[in-house]
Amino acid sequence: MNAGPQAIAFMRRLREGLDSGLELPDVLASGASALPREARDTLDHVLRRLEGGHDDDEWGFDEDFADLVEPFFGFLYDRWWRVQAEGVHHVPAHGRALLASNHAGILPWDATMISMALLRQHPLPRHPRFLVLNWAFDLPWVSAFIRKVGGVVASPYNALRLLEQDQLVAVFPEGVKGTGKPFGERYRLQRFGRGGFVEIALRAGAPIVPVAVVGSEEIYPKLADVPPLARLVGAPFFPVTPTFPWLGPLGTVPLPSKWRIEFCEPIETDPYGAEAASDRGLVLELTERVRDTVQQALYANLVRRGSTFV
Amino acid sequence: MAGRRVLITGVGSYLGTLLAARLEREPEVEAVVGLDTRGPRAPLVRTQLIEADIRDPAIAPLIAGAEVDTVVHNSIVRQPRPGMSAQAMHDINVMGSLQLLAACGQSPSIRAIVIRGSAGIYGAEPHAPQFFGEEMTRLFPMRTRFQRDVAEIENYFETYSRRHPQVSCTMLRYQPAIGPSLRTQLTRYLSQAACPTYLGFDPRIQLVHEDDALDALVAAVRRPVRGAVNVAAHGTIGLARMIRLAGRPLLPLAAPLFGPITGAARRLGLDSYSEDFRRLLHYGRGVDIGRLEREVGHRPRYSTAEAVEDWVRRGAVAA
Repeated sequence: MNAGPQAIAFMRRLREGLDSGLELPDVLASGASALPREARDTLDHVLRRLEGGHDDDEWGFDEDFADLVEPFFGFLYDRWWRVQAEGVHHVPAHGRALLASNHAGILPWDATMISMALLRQHPLPRHPRFLVLNWAFDLPWVSAFIRKVGGVVASPYNALRLLEQDQLVAVFPEGVKGTGKPFGERYRLQRFGRGGFVEIALRAGAPIVPVAVVGSEEIYPKLADVPPLARLVGAPFFPVTPTFPWLGPLGTVPLPSKWRIEFCEPIETDPYGAEAASDRGLVLELTERVRDTVQQALYANLVRRGSTFV
Repeated sequence: MAGRRVLITGVGSYLGTLLAARLEREPEVEAVVGLDTRGPRAPLVRTQLIEADIRDPAIAPLIAGAEVDTVVHNSIVRQPRPGMSAQAMHDINVMGSLQLLAACGQSPSIRAIVIRGSAGIYGAEPHAPQFFGEEMTRLFPMRTRFQRDVAEIENYFETYSRRHPQVSCTMLRYQPAIGPSLRTQLTRYLSQAACPTYLGFDPRIQLVHEDDALDALVAAVRRPVRGAVNVAAHGTIGLARMIRLAGRPLLPLAAPLFGPITGAARRLGLDSYSEDFRRLLHYGRGVDIGRLEREVGHRPRYSTAEAVEDWVRRGAVAA
């Protein structure tokens, strides 16, 4: 396959378009002429749907749209990050369940790759819904896009309602502390908050599946933080990476690290009952168990992965 | 529940008139009293009309004299009518509710008060839960004048209900209503030559169909419950899709330009949007209607998308 040169031609046109001051959708449309025919059709479709005229659920999740953009994430999954997924069978095929994973970066690439792993390798593929850092919902286009592929505002009320609707929900308990991790601290899990996600799982009686994602913490190596700029744009932090902000929008292109995703054995919460959600001791104990499982799986997969990029 | 006597404020509004007409037909309702400065929209058969302003303290003896057991407060203004100042709107909403409560305090026969309030109390926020539950009014700061007014009104009723345990106060928090008979900020917005939107945002909007808005009010009169109850249709709809359904083109404006441009349009004599409405167009809002279905016993017939489709189908876009 000669996807490489095509991708580069696409990126180049994107860059040219943005430099000449076009709006993002126009730029995407003009850049598309460099893509092969099917990809171009898909992109056309996507742009039309971004403007409305289709069906979606009460959360704004649009399954057709998610299917339409699948080739793009498929490209990232197969070629860009060469993802290897393990233990997909630990994710229940139906009914409510909570995936708890490590997290890095503002843009929820890791969530989309977890989705892809389930769609590609699960015997009964399902779209997980994921809780996204609130800040992303202030951003034009990003907010609309994230909602369409299954993201929701990171609020416990949202998580609980989704679980009660028997959805598969992915959470990132490190929260904003995880997204702002400097490069030197990659794969060292931050505190899992006060264990709110465990409380929700207990209340909904949903099993918790710990997930370890290796690779996501190298896509935007954060070397420094510029707090005054962060305050200026209202972001929790302003990252400086080898490519951002030096290359402008191109700096948001993630680095092609090699990824591994491991779904660990589920922790059942049903036996404890819904009242256990107010038992602080139990909540903290389960939180620690999930955190420990993810941390161990991260170390094991880091070793198994070998070198970072090749 | 036999022999109920119901007083409706704002009987001159579309919903007020329909509610009066509906209650007139209920056998267990002995008398209907309508209070407003305007006459009803349609002729009413056995409703006794009182022409008075609820801001006027003189309503107290009138209400006591009517010997009602139920009061439906239906004169909260959601957007200024043409020629109505923001100050007048605040006066009607806050001072009017206060006078009404004072009058209720002097009428020992009252057992239930049903208020047609607004889900605007939750605001419209980028980081909000997708569906507000009734207990979530304090998640975000109050940002607009209308929001603060609604919160103040709710406070008065809460205090009143605490001090008068024999009276059950139902605060119905309505999402914006839509339907072929209604002329609201939203229907005017959807009838413009082009609909301004925030560039790059497609908020989730939740509405309530006019028929469901009325039925919820009737259900709450039949079965008054204590406290706040959200009133809305099932589901939400993307703003872009709603505008497409209305057959209008979108006019995306970058967020910092939205206020100035729509402000300039107002000075040119085109339609203007309240701050609440602008925030709704930016961030959207959804509410949870579990309590409405379980406790009040009203199950909305129209989903949000169906409500919009019905409004479009029945030729309202042309109006």
